[in-house]
Amino acid sequence: MLAAAACAITVTACSGGVAGGPQATTSGGPLKFGMLAPMSGSESAFGDYLKNGASLAVAEINAAGGVNGSQIELIVEDDGCDPTTAVAAANKLVSQGVVASVGGYCSGATLPTLPIFLEAKVPMVIPAANSNALVEAGQANVFLINGTGTQQAQAAVSFATKSKAARIFILDDSTDYSVDLADSFEEQAKAANLTVAGRATLTPKEKDYSGEANKITTSKADFVYFTGYYQEGALLNRQSKDAGYDGIFLVGDGAVDASFAKITGADYTKNVFGTFTQTPDMLEGADNWIASYKAKFGAEPGPYTTQAYDAVRVMAEGIKQAGSTDMDKVVAALNALDGFATFSGPLKFTDKGTLSSGGFVIVTIGPAGTFILHDDLLG
Amino acid sequence: MSLTIPAREPDGVLVPPNRHTAPPAPPFSWRSDRAGLSVLGVGVFVAVLLVPFISASPYLISILTSAMIYVMLALGLNVVVGYAGLLDLGYIAFFAVGAYTSGILTTKFGFTMVAAIPVTIAACILAGIVIGGPTLRLRSDYLAIVTLGFGEIIRITANNLDITGGPSGIHGIPTWAFFGWDFSKGLSIGGVFFNSKIVFYYFVAVVVVVLGVIGISRLSRGKMGRAWKAVRDDEDAAEAMGINTYFTKITAYIIGAVWAGLAGQLMAAHLSAISPNSFQFLYSALILMAVVLGGMGSTPGVIIGALFVSLAPEFLREFSDWRYLLFGVLLVVTMIFRPKGIWPATSAFPWSRDKRLGTGPKPVEQGLDPRDVADLEAAEDGAGRRDHHDH
Amino acid sequence: MAQVLLNGLFVGSFYALVALGYSMVYGIIKLLNFAHGDLYMLGAYIGFVVLTGIPGAAEVASVPALLVLVMIAMLTTGLFGVAIERVAYRPLRWAPRLSVLITAVGMSFTLEYGIRQIFGASPKAYPLRISGGLVSVLGAQISVAQISLMLVAALLMAVLAFYVNRTREGRAMRAIALDSRASTLMGIDVNRTISRVFFVGSALAGAAGVMAGAFYGSIDFMMGFSIGLKAFTAAVIGGIGNLYGAMLGGLTLGLLEAVGTAWVGGEWRDVFSFACLILFLTFRPTGLLGARVVERM
Repeated sequence: MLAAAACAITVTACSGGVAGGPQATTSGGPLKFGMLAPMSGSESAFGDYLKNGASLAVAEINAAGGVNGSQIELIVEDDGCDPTTAVAAANKLVSQGVVASVGGYCSGATLPTLPIFLEAKVPMVIPAANSNALVEAGQANVFLINGTGTQQAQAAVSFATKSKAARIFILDDSTDYSVDLADSFEEQAKAANLTVAGRATLTPKEKDYSGEANKITTSKADFVYFTGYYQEGALLNRQSKDAGYDGIFLVGDGAVDASFAKITGADYTKNVFGTFTQTPDMLEGADNWIASYKAKFGAEPGPYTTQAYDAVRVMAEGIKQAGSTDMDKVVAALNALDGFATFSGPLKFTDKGTLSSGGFVIVTIGPAGTFILHDDLLG
Repeated sequence: MSLTIPAREPDGVLVPPNRHTAPPAPPFSWRSDRAGLSVLGVGVFVAVLLVPFISASPYLISILTSAMIYVMLALGLNVVVGYAGLLDLGYIAFFAVGAYTSGILTTKFGFTMVAAIPVTIAACILAGIVIGGPTLRLRSDYLAIVTLGFGEIIRITANNLDITGGPSGIHGIPTWAFFGWDFSKGLSIGGVFFNSKIVFYYFVAVVVVVLGVIGISRLSRGKMGRAWKAVRDDEDAAEAMGINTYFTKITAYIIGAVWAGLAGQLMAAHLSAISPNSFQFLYSALILMAVVLGGMGSTPGVIIGALFVSLAPEFLREFSDWRYLLFGVLLVVTMIFRPKGIWPATSAFPWSRDKRLGTGPKPVEQGLDPRDVADLEAAEDGAGRRDHHDH
Repeated sequence: MAQVLLNGLFVGSFYALVALGYSMVYGIIKLLNFAHGDLYMLGAYIGFVVLTGIPGAAEVASVPALLVLVMIAMLTTGLFGVAIERVAYRPLRWAPRLSVLITAVGMSFTLEYGIRQIFGASPKAYPLRISGGLVSVLGAQISVAQISLMLVAALLMAVLAFYVNRTREGRAMRAIALDSRASTLMGIDVNRTISRVFFVGSALAGAAGVMAGAFYGSIDFMMGFSIGLKAFTAAVIGGIGNLYGAMLGGLTLGLLEAVGTAWVGGEWRDVFSFACLILFLTFRPTGLLGARVVERM
């Protein structure tokens, strides 16, 4: 108790103790941007995509002189897609004095970190996690840069209507992102008078989905919407075609990846479409972007690379407009952004912190095996 | 049965009753060792309580709170594996039952955390009986797979149901509150303002751990504890001595379950959100590692083991890509060079040469033991009852 | 329904191949080798390395080419299995059984995350693909590739059964499983025989890994975890330690899962198989073939 008493008297001397309160953010030095991403565990494949995308943006901004004269330092912490690890990691970021959070991949692991960042007065731009629960948490400092399930489902429904789908089969992979999207799609498809022939959920990380493929063929569907990730999507596409399915196979943005065609096999890429935000190669000047990404990391950009890249840029823009790292000012500046160029189109946030337009388009697999623009849904 | 460590008798030798059923007969050094242990325990307790006064960064407190929860789980699993010798590979399931029961009650039915405690306990007892009831009659290997299966069933069910919040889980779980005062408001004592609920969780967790250590060590020295160890060391001999082995085993199992459930409730309140990802098989394996690394049946050992498995990944964060690989290698190396764990149950201190208990005869060759075959055959009789000695 | 059963049998033959190794190792040294599923993964990655390392190897997409690849992977994975036993399990032969189990879990981590460090976390597309025309059997679609893989699996199992039942080495294995001390007295080299068991079991898992890679087309560093649990389950369903039990258990589990997926939905697939397992153990704890005293490996 002596130590405690000493602390109570000389508060400044032991600001780390209980009496000290939240640690003051250091002035001067680089602006620390924190990012939580799954670097270990079952989702670790996506961690590198997020990290690389964000590092690229940080490098570009720093090369151009930084934000308000300060350089940005990116600190990536592993959240393991697990709430316990994520809470520890978020606390670690806060303890290190980050001024902004640009991470968040798994909604389940991101949710418990929201109060921690709020308490530390850190604004958040979440690149990938997009569960409705994040919006429902109702925190003003939270912005979602990934289109929500509702917006993506809209794109999928208008594509289904356009392609005159008679019977639709919906599949999710039992992860939060995927279930959300499938739910939205089912609801909107029914509202648009489309026939939903069946709905199923598969267990991710398996190899054999012949059971699901069988369900698709027996439901006599001519339009499948799979809302999970590329590995399962590619396996399912191949196995359903082996089972005799020959209709449209539409996948959500998590499955739009160059590996899809490689895994599913060249003979099976016909009639595969995806709902996706604008990819780099659809935008002007993006060739350079891909080239510099490849040069820096020696690999192709993957899912959510662009969102992580944009999250950093949006956050930097917010801080720049606000002229400070004060949370309320940054939040106000982010809310005031209008037309900031991002991969998902000109950016504007709704009052809930979600994108006002998802900017989803329909893509398909091109001759090179990558996804290319098929229909921008504007016409 | 053959899970146990040291004391297995050579073929056909009846176990001298006092070896296993009497309390560890104290040679005079034992008393001083125990006193030394108590002093050490109190010292550690005070030191741990003082940590927040030295540094209360949210990160440190958060990982220490998680570490305390790991310690709770390891203590509970130690009762099941270390004392009763039941291999449980799905221990995290009871943790999940506790976390989800309290999470659902508080967010959907307006319970307070305190009011949810009895329901949590009841749910864990029920789960313990449902899973332990039929399977504790089986061989240990089968118990391992059944508990593993049960762990997966709980996780997948939580992932698929609506009431458990599906894959994103439950969020907005309230903090603890007593009589209108809740932890998040903080408290000022003697001029020191305890500003964060996290500090409280840390204190609560530390106190619960201490109570657990005291309770479990008393229990383990009592009649029930001696019965556990007897069943672990030789089930048939124990039965011959008049111990109801089935009852003994299920008691250990349920105590472990309830303890894990309480840890789950603490974690739900600490994190304010839970999701099925926290209850993967990986975590059952980690807690089992904590127990075995520390030393099965050794309370100080499993505490060290739990601190190691929960804190090592945090300290190895810098190598976040490498940490699980290092972890795996470290496990193999430790097991080869110190297979009884960091702090073996047979010694008062890991460095002391005096053994508190006799080490017993040299352990038989595991796996190559013909009695294990007899084991298999006995199980194949369909009776599910082991008979080691008539072979 | 025929389709469902056929799919189940196909998956089940993979489970059976992996379960065999599990069961053999358990039979001889009473070790639940948690790292066994990861040998399946290792086999797939070894195939991957061979295919990407030898230019043009991936172009020869035919069943004979696959067989050669399977052979290479079996040999390498088998040697890995022997090395793992030598390094991690043999020093612990006298240790408590649980310590060895923990070592196995550590070994599993080491293999998974070692592969992750080398090849990265994202799934790899397999360079060699086998595909073929579809055949109709009793109203169900099955591809030629599936039929050939099932034949290969059946062939491997037949060879194994012959090896264990009809050769000297196989007899030594059975002898050790029955009574290791007596076997030592009879002049059997226990260590060498255990190494052989690890070699054979690991090789089978490696073969399954390559075949899965070539058929499904994607491999990842965690692919062994799930199948490891399933194989464990299959081995127990069949009666752990029993050779034919592992085969039967694998096929049974595959069928149960296929029926479960069709009946209650894919998200409940694992719940369904584990629940069946628990009921099974409650009412017939020795597994399907546990009661019969046959070649208990």
